[in-house]
Amino acid sequence: MPTVLAMSDFDLPTRSASGFLLRYIVPRVEPIQLLGVLVRRLPFKLAAPQADIIIGAGHGDVDVFTGQNEAIILEVGKYGPREVEGKVIKLLSCQCGVELCPDLVANGAACAIGYTDDYVWVMDSDLASTPWADKEFAGRCLMPVIDGLNALLDGKTAREALDIELEGYSRNAEVEEDELVKACLEFNHDNAILIGDGGASIRARPQLALPFRLIPPPPLLMPVA
Amino acid sequence: MPNEEWEQLKAALKKPATPEARAEAAQAFEKYRVVKLAKGKSSKPELVSLGYKKTYPHAVPVDKIPDELAKNPEFYDLMKRVVTKEKS
Repeated sequence: MPTVLAMSDFDLPTRSASGFLLRYIVPRVEPIQLLGVLVRRLPFKLAAPQADIIIGAGHGDVDVFTGQNEAIILEVGKYGPREVEGKVIKLLSCQCGVELCPDLVANGAACAIGYTDDYVWVMDSDLASTPWADKEFAGRCLMPVIDGLNALLDGKTAREALDIELEGYSRNAEVEEDELVKACLEFNHDNAILIGDGGASIRARPQLALPFRLIPPPPLLMPVA
Repeated sequence: MPNEEWEQLKAALKKPATPEARAEAAQAFEKYRVVKLAKGKSSKPELVSLGYKKTYPHAVPVDKIPDELAKNPEFYDLMKRVVTKEKS
């Protein structure tokens, strides 16, 4: 079964979050990868039923997860159960853990991992075209997410994967000198939530040693201001 | 180890979101940034979030946080939750 990755990249936060997924997750999973303009409702609706895991990075609210230019991808009560049934779902988005994640599980998802408040981090906008290179700021918050996702793709359970993400936030917060970055790490740690079966897991994907011996992706195209 | 300026910001953010409290928090954040910048980092850090239909921008340059704090109660509330861990 394929992996559905929904990675919008139309502004700084989505570019940063999707950049880390592009660099660290995309190389080890099979399509279907929805990037940029493809992160819309119809492509998602067609792709989702085939997958065993859905990973999304985009803007969101308590009852909605959005894609490119805030096109609605998943909204409480407005999607088919086939899109979520039996799947492990991870939404890197704001507040989806409040209503949307419980709704996904109520409609048959094995489990859903999200956040109960805003997902916030500090990023270096000088590195917007190569967001994965932003280790000093964005990497502090986003690498724990990547570690958690890689654990899921290694076949670990959702609970184990979330614990790895949480440990990452704590570890980074302990050594962080910038109080704002540290506050963001603690905030995201406190708001991460797993709904549904914590023992759910997916078929393990082949491991790739980190750092990958791959050429990093080319710079993302920047919109003309 | 949290510095004194950060503690002042925390104390300011604990107040209800009145215009005076927002101005005080903005001033406290400016002081904190002066200290941070003195330590010397050459980049353009921005505070970003993945919120949907918020009244504050998705990305706020860190040096513009005081302006946003002073004018936007919803952003003040977000900073309050992030910095003080208090739920509104």
